Amino acid sequence: MTLKNRLAFLACLLFFPGIASALTISLAQIDASRLLVTQNVQAYVSVTDDQGLPVEGLEPGAFSIAESSDGVSFQLIPRISAFTPNAGAVAGITFLLLIDDSGSMYDTLDGKATTDANVTRIVHAKDAVRTLLAGMTNPADRVGLAYFNTSYHLLSRPTTDRGRIAGLLDGIQRPSPDQAYTELYASLTQAAREFAGIEGRKAIIVLSDGENFPYALHAGKAHPVFGSRIFTFREPITANQEEGNTIYAVNFGIGNAPDRNLKEIALQTGGTIFDARNRAELAGVYDTIHRQVAGEYLLTYRATLTPAEEKYVRARVVVPDGEASATRFYFASTVFGLPLRGLTLFLVIPFVLACLLLWGLTLLRLERKTGPARLEVLQTQVGRPVTRIVPLTSAKTVIGGSPKADLTIVGAPQIREQHATIIFDPKDKSYTVVGTGEIFVNNQPVKTRTLESGDVIDVGGATIVFDDEGRPVS
Amino acid sequence: MTTLARRLIFLALGLLAGICAWPLAEVILFLQSGFSSYLVFSVFLGAVTGAVMGVFFGAAEGITSRVKSRIAAGVLLGALVGCIGGGVGLLAGQEALWMIGTFVMQSYANFQRVVLPLSHAIGWAILGIFVGAGEGVRAGSWKKIGIGILGGLTGGLLGGFVLEYGRLAFPLAGYSRLIGFATLGCAIGVFYGLIERGMSFGVLRILTGGLKGKEFLLNQRRMRLGRSPRNEIALPSYEDLADRQAQVRIRKGEVVLVNLEPRIPILVNEQKIDESAENRGAERRLKLGDVIRIGSARMFYKYE
Repeated sequence: MTLKNRLAFLACLLFFPGIASALTISLAQIDASRLLVTQNVQAYVSVTDDQGLPVEGLEPGAFSIAESSDGVSFQLIPRISAFTPNAGAVAGITFLLLIDDSGSMYDTLDGKATTDANVTRIVHAKDAVRTLLAGMTNPADRVGLAYFNTSYHLLSRPTTDRGRIAGLLDGIQRPSPDQAYTELYASLTQAAREFAGIEGRKAIIVLSDGENFPYALHAGKAHPVFGSRIFTFREPITANQEEGNTIYAVNFGIGNAPDRNLKEIALQTGGTIFDARNRAELAGVYDTIHRQVAGEYLLTYRATLTPAEEKYVRARVVVPDGEASATRFYFASTVFGLPLRGLTLFLVIPFVLACLLLWGLTLLRLERKTGPARLEVLQTQVGRPVTRIVPLTSAKTVIGGSPKADLTIVGAPQIREQHATIIFDPKDKSYTVVGTGEIFVNNQPVKTRTLESGDVIDVGGATIVFDDEGRPVS
Repeated sequence: MTTLARRLIFLALGLLAGICAWPLAEVILFLQSGFSSYLVFSVFLGAVTGAVMGVFFGAAEGITSRVKSRIAAGVLLGALVGCIGGGVGLLAGQEALWMIGTFVMQSYANFQRVVLPLSHAIGWAILGIFVGAGEGVRAGSWKKIGIGILGGLTGGLLGGFVLEYGRLAFPLAGYSRLIGFATLGCAIGVFYGLIERGMSFGVLRILTGGLKGKEFLLNQRRMRLGRSPRNEIALPSYEDLADRQAQVRIRKGEVVLVNLEPRIPILVNEQKIDESAENRGAERRLKLGDVIRIGSARMFYKYE
């Protein structure tokens, strides 16, 4: 997605948030794995009410799907070809537990300062996490752990080893005053990226007691990582919608108000907010999430072929008392990529040019013309010829190591100064080789020999071919 | 034609193949929305691209061996094999692209810089493998299939990366895909030309007649020699030899010349090759530097 498209997409989310009504729809997963074979895309959607509870029993007619290649202009899909309620995957869910470790988490539940470490909110939060971990019954579930205050700290990427996660809780310690701020939005935005490479349902469970309290705004100086950037509550929503993460919030803000946008963040990503005072509700968080996944609707539709690197899918649900929509994208890039913006006639040029050149290559002179008689050095074992091709224009042509020879081979001590001579007989226009040293013709030792075209003369390891195509080979 | 010239011709043909396939691909890409499904689109696009490349590489052998009738046959068969290879190849490449893309794309981060180029390059490489193997299938040579696969793989990866990073670096340039295609074609051509050296058992250099100077690479287990243009070593313009006169075999690392028509003698170093060796035909093991005479053709066996 180009920056421009991305901004447009962002703008869409900002100005047309999924209709802040009682209803939320979230695209839990888009399965395009059979797109090439069937042209079908499957979208898993969950619909939740204003309490974050799954809405069941919806009819196919309540849903519609639209696709877009730029995230801006959507094309309505005429028909949802298959509709399956209660289609949620039973495969495991991947969780990231995100614990607020800001200063106020070291107060009591009702917001009073205390020196008794055992009654602080953080102790309750850690207890809640242990309760959650103990309640996770599906062995395929994976859990990761992170905490935040002024900064975001990842303790473990999602793993199936839940015992290890419980052990890591002790690593969350009271922050220094400078570290005690609450970068809630920034941390939820960063946490969205922790699920890289993980398929299926992904959920962030954030345990927090207070409102977003950015360092740059309240400490009067730039944040060590974010600088002067202040995250809005829209950013974690966008980031997590893009990644398909659902956010569930557990509120420890008793006595002081919870973050005013935390509920919106949870609802907008298809999640809900739980109250930490209510132990029964806390213990039911895991079951609620599982029930929501199981209650997903599966919408199958025929995908459009509009060229795009990533294709946006907008699912919309309309019921009598409300409507909601959500957008995600799937990977639709083709091997050769996006088409040109327009075709020009100039495209004909390379095509014609290449065809003409191919035709030209086939016309390469297929037969070689005959030339005057000559000697050509094919290879030497030692030394090298001064010239590789010597025409036989005089009555005598000398082959040897001497610079005065007609065909000189330098750097070969075994070749005599005048090792062999080619003598032209004008009477019958024949060439005869005469050796003063040892010579071979066609690998046969000779002293003298009348040559035929194609004869191979060996002079002290130098291979020389006699070429006289004017004369037929006998 | 010397080996160097032969390689240059292969390189040129590869380059031309890429240049020729590119405009066709652009037209088909432009019409993507009009196709009924990604399946039809991928197969059609791959088949056309592969067929064009097949034409150029199919012509190569005929051009380098200077036998016109083999050019036509090579072009036709090359187009057919390339068409099939390209269709299957682009389909496989597209599926791989989506599988890898979807897997890596589970996270949005790094989508542009890593996911797209990587998965595209792999998609291209798979297409390249199929297109590159085509010429080997056409020639019926496992070695050429292997060579082509290596060339296609290299060219596809390079071409894919060139295309993607070219697109990122110059988003408005329409020709980055042309460079990708040219890279793919060149790499396949270079590999066809190059690897044969390492796999060959020397060359037979023609010393006389119309093919004077041409060097036949001995790179297949059995290569037929004779006047017929269907032979691997085709000597159509020569006299006093049979349509299928001889066979050059590579046996246990040695090059053996077998005379299939003992009525017409073959001379190696002016000696008739031993007729008593086997009743199915006389044969002789060749040594580097041997001078061979078959009819009006003279040849010199040399290491490249």
